[in-house]
Amino acid sequence: MILELKGIVVPGRQRPRLNNLNLQLNRGERVALLGASGAGKSTLLAVANGLIKPACGAVYWFGEKASSGKRRQRQQARIGTLWQDLRLVEELSVQQSLNCGRLAVWPWPLVLLNLFLPLETNACAKVLSEVELDPDLLAVPVKQLSGGQRQRVALARLLRQGAELLLADEPLAQLDPPLAARLLELLLQLGAAPRSLLLSLHRPDLVQGFDRVIGLRNGELLFDGNPKSLSAELINDLYAQN
Amino acid sequence: MQAKFAPVFGLLLPALVFLPLLAFLPFEIHGGGWGLIANFFGAALRPSLTPSLLASACSGIAITLAVALWSWLLSLVIGIGAGLLSAPTVSEAFWGCRWPADLLRRLLALPRSLHELLWGLILLQGLGLQPVVAVVAIAIPYGALVARVVSDQLESLPQAPFQALRVAGAPSPAALLTGLGPSLLPGVLSYGGYRLECALRSATLLGVFGLGGVGADLRLSLQSLQFHEAWTSLWALALVMFLLEQGIALLRRRWWQPGAVVGQRGRELLLLFVVLLLLLFPAAQLLDLQWQVLLGPWHWPMDQQIFQWQAWWLPWPQLVGSTLLLTVIAALAAFAAAPLLLLLFSPWALMQPLLRGLGLIARLLPPPLTALLLLFVLKPGLLPAALALAFHNAGILGRLFLEGLEAQDPRPEQALLAAGVSSRKALLMARFNGLAAGYLAYGAYRADVILRETVVVGLVGAGGLGVVLLEALSSFAWADVLPVLVVYALLTLFGEELATRYRSFLLHKHPQKEGGAPTRLQLLAKPMLERA
Repeated sequence: MILELKGIVVPGRQRPRLNNLNLQLNRGERVALLGASGAGKSTLLAVANGLIKPACGAVYWFGEKASSGKRRQRQQARIGTLWQDLRLVEELSVQQSLNCGRLAVWPWPLVLLNLFLPLETNACAKVLSEVELDPDLLAVPVKQLSGGQRQRVALARLLRQGAELLLADEPLAQLDPPLAARLLELLLQLGAAPRSLLLSLHRPDLVQGFDRVIGLRNGELLFDGNPKSLSAELINDLYAQN
Repeated sequence: MQAKFAPVFGLLLPALVFLPLLAFLPFEIHGGGWGLIANFFGAALRPSLTPSLLASACSGIAITLAVALWSWLLSLVIGIGAGLLSAPTVSEAFWGCRWPADLLRRLLALPRSLHELLWGLILLQGLGLQPVVAVVAIAIPYGALVARVVSDQLESLPQAPFQALRVAGAPSPAALLTGLGPSLLPGVLSYGGYRLECALRSATLLGVFGLGGVGADLRLSLQSLQFHEAWTSLWALALVMFLLEQGIALLRRRWWQPGAVVGQRGRELLLLFVVLLLLLFPAAQLLDLQWQVLLGPWHWPMDQQIFQWQAWWLPWPQLVGSTLLLTVIAALAAFAAAPLLLLLFSPWALMQPLLRGLGLIARLLPPPLTALLLLFVLKPGLLPAALALAFHNAGILGRLFLEGLEAQDPRPEQALLAAGVSSRKALLMARFNGLAAGYLAYGAYRADVILRETVVVGLVGAGGLGVVLLEALSSFAWADVLPVLVVYALLTLFGEELATRYRSFLLHKHPQKEGGAPTRLQLLAKPMLERA
């Protein structure tokens, strides 16, 4: 099992952001996470990548309990997150940004060399082409890229990281329909075995390519099953006001 | 493929200066004095608390604060007035041409080029030991600095609101006040607050050179090895500086809230102004300020010729060379200290408050006193002088660096941490990279300040123009003063120009993000001579 959440509770201001949540994700599974705004999708992803430590419950990564210190870092290095706001370091070039994916495993001399030398150009060009970007972009500063290019660079960074579990927080939210469809196709392709994918979405019509759909409502699991079994009634329930 | 340097590379490279420094350090240690250093630090925990000494420390601090307050307010009045007059926008609005502003800007470069200590010593020769000397000595260069910042800020503001008001028929002063005033105010307030902190440091420094206040007490205590007494003054000064820094930071945050309206801010400002005015009277009484002495008579030694050809024959390459070497070493070390220490100690939560404490000590200890302390273990020469300057300036740079780091967007760092990257590497790649261009730009400005400051560490035998100048001034040899003063002023003006161009280049290459309250680092790093 690649990810297991057991009895997760994350407190919130008015009600828990996640309430006694249980989830299992197997290797090769591609799972869509549905829910209205504030349902707890981003919180779930933040627990899954270790950014938030839950008040109660346990997180298991790759069959091991989430640890602390160096061991935790090694576990986290196997999880890649495509953040909604991308969180790229604007001041770096594309190549340096891609190599940020290797920081967890690189020794310090390489970390420092990356600041002024183009390192591992072939590997960087390869991941860039995997996300359908021109390798000529390697030397371009991140801040000069368009929105769509930045998103792909962020995705390529996860590939460079060698992440086995891909988490994506509403990656399609700000893209126009054709671009969103192409990116989703790419994510589904990259998230296939041996990797796994957990992706939050706000549009139920896009879940068809996934192996599983999870519905969250008010921090609790409302639905977990096959995309085909997602009925209009369930969707209404999912997006109903409290 | 062409190599691209990440901005953070420029932030780490200066740290290489520590390699030669550490390599030479063992040869510069004279063997004795470690006991004295241990006594000095040991005394920090047991400052003298006798009532008479506490009273003397309080009186010293009060005098230093009074000098700082008066000189600061005077410099603001001079600076804002001269800044407005030297802004081409104002000049064009009032006189229809910009040359008066350009002329004034060039004239203001001269008072700015000399360190306040030099102004203090020059005025001391002319007026004798008068409290007003310290106040005016600080106000002259500070006024010229504030003027430059005000006029540069004014020029870099969007001119459209001002033009719109003018086109709508508003008279020039009203259009300026309404169209540009509100945008100018936050920058001027923030910079003004920063200058008050600087004024406190300068007033302490002038005290070390005999102009009264806590600096004089500190020097006496250290020279007579009365470390317990020295720490009484140091702790008191630390408390005052901490309260002042926190108070200014609080006002900055309050006045920069996005929701703060001009009217509310204006009322609070007016209140603060009234409080300051009320403080000025007791401060003047305490100092026994006699402004009329400025009107004369001045006691210039008229019996000697001020211009003598033979006085101009000096070993210039050696003098200028050692001044520049001292500047470069001190500037690089001061610049690199904060990022390096933070990177080394970042995983330990306790280290940050410790580093902040060390920074506060560095800021409040005037460089000549640090140099004096270093002489307990080091041979006189360039190294103690460079280390003393570096330590003091690292305290100032470090504070701005930490402030800037806290204002950085935390999300790129979080993303790296969540990907299993260690806290050090994440700090380096995300926050340091985001801050590097602004910090480098400010570092260039600081190097220019350090060049001016080289004069204050002359007493430890660092060589360079500063020593010659101080010797000539204290022996009333005016003919010898003139050439060194001219070369020194030219050098600092050249340094200023170089630093400004470098800042311009950096900020053009890495534009600072707009939106939200600009950090002080962003504000100070702005190229001061950049035209909109």
